[in-house]
Amino acid sequence: MNLIRRLSIPLLVVACTAVPVWWAFPDGLSLARSLGIVLGWAGCGLLLASLFLMLRETWLAPWLGGLERMYHWHHRIGVAAYLLLLAHPLALAADAWMDSPQLAWQILFPAPQLWPIWLGWLALFLLMLGLAATFAQRLAYRSWRRLHFVLGIGVLCGLLHLFLLGIDGPVLPLLALCVLLLGWRLLGEDSARTARPYLVRAAVHVTDDVLEIALSPLARPIAASAGQFVLVAFFSGAGFRGCGEFHPFTVSAVDADGDLRIAVKALGDCTRRMQLIAPGVPARVHGPFGSFLADRPVARQLWLAGGIGITPFLALLRSSRLVQPTTLLYLYRSTADAAFVDELQALAAADPKLALYTLATGDEAPNLELLLAEAGALVTGQECYFCGPPGMLAAARRTLLKRGTSPRQIHFESFGFR
Amino acid sequence: MQRLYVGATVAFWLFVAAFWSSTYWRPEVPLPAVAVRERQVSPVELARHATPEDCWMAIRGSVYDVSPYLPEHPSRPELVLPWCGREASQAYATKNKGRTHSERADELLAQYRIGSLVAD
Repeated sequence: MNLIRRLSIPLLVVACTAVPVWWAFPDGLSLARSLGIVLGWAGCGLLLASLFLMLRETWLAPWLGGLERMYHWHHRIGVAAYLLLLAHPLALAADAWMDSPQLAWQILFPAPQLWPIWLGWLALFLLMLGLAATFAQRLAYRSWRRLHFVLGIGVLCGLLHLFLLGIDGPVLPLLALCVLLLGWRLLGEDSARTARPYLVRAAVHVTDDVLEIALSPLARPIAASAGQFVLVAFFSGAGFRGCGEFHPFTVSAVDADGDLRIAVKALGDCTRRMQLIAPGVPARVHGPFGSFLADRPVARQLWLAGGIGITPFLALLRSSRLVQPTTLLYLYRSTADAAFVDELQALAAADPKLALYTLATGDEAPNLELLLAEAGALVTGQECYFCGPPGMLAAARRTLLKRGTSPRQIHFESFGFR
Repeated sequence: MQRLYVGATVAFWLFVAAFWSSTYWRPEVPLPAVAVRERQVSPVELARHATPEDCWMAIRGSVYDVSPYLPEHPSRPELVLPWCGREASQAYATKNKGRTHSERADELLAQYRIGSLVAD
């Protein structure tokens, strides 16, 4: 990642925070009151930066280091904003507390008719609720998403709280910007208006719970390459009832005629329903995103795939012959889960640069050090690409770092989008 | 991050509870003694003057009849009028951007002083 892309998000965060804080910086007020004001404005700035980072635009994502990095920062900045906004009313009350505890309590919970202040409380409650839902990983994706939307309403309530307090100078443009960003995401992206239309051309089960779906473009195709991922939503048609939600899928093949193939593993309600998909089902595709496997150096390669994490490597092997000597270690739970193994073996037989090792690991975590040693992959100077469950990625990273591999030679994407 | 969220949220509500409890264990600071000749206005009397035509406000212990000034006030009426008939020190100290009013505004305000706020 070049320097501009590495610094783009920190610079965005600093700009979004520094401008409102500079504008509103208190002059001649007590320390606690000044702190309360600064915390409030800094929280607003961080929320604005967080809203920027939820956009799914193919032209924007590369500048900000990729969609996964944007989501990572979106989450962290959102939590940081919440912490500052929690401290905001406490600092204002602490300022008044020195004079009178009753006044401090009135500042926190004023008379009922002072609804600009109560709107601030509503904003804080919505942020509290929305963030609690964000951490609830066991929630069904649809419920999780709806509760996540509560955060957007909380942001708007917070800005209305400022506006109704009479601070309309910078708040109106800020409010307009937030509405624009939320509308862009909800109306433009989530409602699939900006996604490209595709049609399911074929659907083939490669294991009991993995379906490979071929999608044909109905308009200009997406220019995806091996290692990238797309966001796909399937809709109702051809006897199938689609859930209409966008889910990320790594491309498993990019065909010459513009068709895309994705492999869908039944992991949740929506992806389980997708296992019944049939040719003719309409779909919308956003993307492509990500740069995994792009710009690989000519050095020897180690690819480590766990389960459905085989798809980016498969896409690359399907698209071209290898230039670099490459070891592919493909781990799966059982032979029933061994998606694409026959095809991989055929590809390895045809390509002398590819050494393929496959193994059913069972339910226990595999001894990666032993497996990598057996595959002759515990050498320094190689470029390592991982795709699989987070636990496996972390263990592999630890093992290779211990054996002298540089962190810069380890590349992975975890595709965690909640 | 989850721990941070839970810890901060719990700490926040503990602080709110501490502010609430302090209204019981820390007695209110008495208002400064007022001059004998000065008009003494109780919160009940203050509350009777809560209309745009008859608007009194208590600011830093003094009571002001700002009715004649209201039409000239630069901010939107809906921001000022809710403070008629009420203790408005905090609002006076937190106008735009949370900054207090200017010295010029203090001088202007003094012209409308009619007495001091006393406890009921």
